[in-house]
Amino acid sequence: MTRKTFLKTAGVGIAGAAAAGLAGCSSSTPSHGGSGWKQYSGMTLNFISENTGPSSAIAANLQPFVDLTGINVNISQLVLTSVEQKVALDLSAHSGQYQVIYADPYNIMAPLSDGFADLSTFMHDKTLPSVPKGTADFVPTQLLAAGRFGDKLLALPYDCPTIIWCYRKDLFEKYHDAMQHDLGFDPTPSIKTTWDQYLQMARWFNTNQDEVPYGTGHQAKQFTSLNDDFANVLWAYGGDYFHNGQHIGKYGSTDPGPCTLDQPEAIRAAEFYNEMLSVAHPGSVSWDWNDLAEAFGDGLIAMCPCWHEDAASWFAPGGLGDKIGFSPLPTGPARSANHYGGTGISINKYITTDEQRAAWLFLVWATAPQTQEAGLFSKVGGGTPTRQSVYQMPKVKRATKPPSDAPNMIPYDAVKVAWEPQNIGLRPKVPYWNQCDAVIFTELSKMLAGHKSPADAMRDAKRGVDDAVNGGSSGV
Amino acid sequence: MASRALEAARLRPIRQGKRRFSFEVKMMLPALLILAAISIVPFFYLIYMTLNKISLVGGVGIAPKWIGFHNWAQMFTDSNVGAGWITMVIFFVATVGLEMLLGLGIALLVYEMVWGKNIVLSILLIPMFVAPVIVGLLGRFLVNPTYGVYAWVLRETHIFTGNILGGQVSAFIAVVLMDVWEWTPLIVLITLAGLVSVPGQVLEAAKVDGAGYWQRLRHVVVPSISGIVLVALLIRSMDALRYFDVIWQSTAGGPANATKIIPLRLYEVAFQFLNLGYAATIGIVMLALSIAIAMLFTGILRRRGLIG
Repeated sequence: MTRKTFLKTAGVGIAGAAAAGLAGCSSSTPSHGGSGWKQYSGMTLNFISENTGPSSAIAANLQPFVDLTGINVNISQLVLTSVEQKVALDLSAHSGQYQVIYADPYNIMAPLSDGFADLSTFMHDKTLPSVPKGTADFVPTQLLAAGRFGDKLLALPYDCPTIIWCYRKDLFEKYHDAMQHDLGFDPTPSIKTTWDQYLQMARWFNTNQDEVPYGTGHQAKQFTSLNDDFANVLWAYGGDYFHNGQHIGKYGSTDPGPCTLDQPEAIRAAEFYNEMLSVAHPGSVSWDWNDLAEAFGDGLIAMCPCWHEDAASWFAPGGLGDKIGFSPLPTGPARSANHYGGTGISINKYITTDEQRAAWLFLVWATAPQTQEAGLFSKVGGGTPTRQSVYQMPKVKRATKPPSDAPNMIPYDAVKVAWEPQNIGLRPKVPYWNQCDAVIFTELSKMLAGHKSPADAMRDAKRGVDDAVNGGSSGV
Repeated sequence: MASRALEAARLRPIRQGKRRFSFEVKMMLPALLILAAISIVPFFYLIYMTLNKISLVGGVGIAPKWIGFHNWAQMFTDSNVGAGWITMVIFFVATVGLEMLLGLGIALLVYEMVWGKNIVLSILLIPMFVAPVIVGLLGRFLVNPTYGVYAWVLRETHIFTGNILGGQVSAFIAVVLMDVWEWTPLIVLITLAGLVSVPGQVLEAAKVDGAGYWQRLRHVVVPSISGIVLVALLIRSMDALRYFDVIWQSTAGGPANATKIIPLRLYEVAFQFLNLGYAATIGIVMLALSIAIAMLFTGILRRRGLIG
């Protein structure tokens, strides 16, 4: 969907607000010039977030916001599961403990969507600052995936980790000719490489060199990371969790219809994934995303599908740094699908109007291009910007090549392609996603343990997901 | 006189009643009210929750919807809950059994030590003071196939070359041993407390009568410490039923649900699926089982005359 189409379909409210934002504020910096920034001076906001780069960067550099607004912000950074629990209890009890919420679109926004304020209310309000450069400046797919639920805009895109192909550039260059000779194709990683070729290369690394113990590694612990990893293959093979799954990934749905994991494409994807894990580093089945990033950084594998924001750790002093290359994930029979794992920030609906308006100020500031640029270059390691304009800044462009002051920018060339609408992979935004996710990764874990065939695992996953969507609790 | 006696008889129950309820009740009332507020009321609400569908999904509030015994029926037919209980029982027997055996053995060894007893005991007790969540993280690092020292030792000695937390049996054994490592010292400590109370004269008399070490152990020491060992067993049994942190940190219930004991299932239903009614049902059964175990042990202790 193009930006223009989005604006048409996003409704008069959001489109109008976006237009107003574009017309009324061309600056990328929240201005100090009497546009309502100081009206809640003295207030304190509580922001609950996953312990991610952007929040660390904002926590380390909050003074500009305090100076701009006079509002203090307490930032609680926790692991995502803890954020989910605290937000669920806070919203359900209407206690209003957290005014600003890190709303993971799948684990928090979809199950708790009625607890968040519709941001179009604030966008229409002339007494409040508008979004610098308008909402159209956000990467379009990210605005939909992280922000929308139904016909409402509930969050502004805040971070955007995406799974891409991370590989040992030094090894691929060193063994290029040998691999090409043995395998019969150009092994240089690119979006044109197929998943089948990826598997062949993984096997080649296992047996033809001794610089890394294994060719590929995966985040295949019985945990949400396993489903995240599998999803890339599922989509690439033409499968999905529901009919019209990518649409549900953008707009969300409370009634997604029957699960489609029992379809032939999904079963073929599961068969391939099972085969790929059989040649992967054996540690893969107990690794989550952190373990995988560590294993790759420690030189245990030649390549892996990994969240691109792990790049910062590899380019730290003493890390593999220049030896690493990035590419969009390989292509399957249907397409290359790169799992988007971004999140937006939202406003709690069960707080006072003044608190909501103050929270809006924080949202505008925290997602402003200037703030994102500062976060990107933060010494504590910020996230990757969600604003298109930030990527046009000369300083940011320079950071895409090592040595870089912002190592998260180094994979940008691969990530930019991964974010294109035809390449991005979106999980479905459905209220019972947490349960569906648990069903799927449990069945996948049973498949990898050899308890079930890929076909049985997918059929059982479908049954469990259908049960979850219909409000049941079995099947996990 | 008669009327005075009648008047006294009429007032007596009132005065007695006043006495019965005034002092004791007034003294206990604050504590009872606090107890009711923090324990009894939530307990009955928990039972009420089991009869309702209470889901936080939607984010609009906690609105109970009466569904009768649906949660109970679902729980008794939920194969995953059944599998969780089976895993729980195996885990329970393995951890508590190993801890009791090792704890008794180590306590007897330490008891016999002539010098250095305090230093050895201090070192032995260290694991007990580590937070379970840290034990889980520590265990996960130690058996990590990449850099874990235990994984390395097992691999180098060819005892186990696979991925410890990646295999179903090896992962289960690993989490059992993590719990045993942490809580065996508690059994050692409690058993040692029992051993020092064994009457010295009786042991001396047994020795004079020609009883060997094993005979003294069987006929004097074990009967003397059996009561306190039962208390240790009770404490560990109750703890093992709500074991969570170590498994959550190390395996999260995997691989293939091999370590998914019932507390993990409860956590998942309550805090990930946000289905509080069903979670309350699972929780009530866990509570009932804990009470049953406690009653079993207190019954045994009472029969032996070790408690009133």
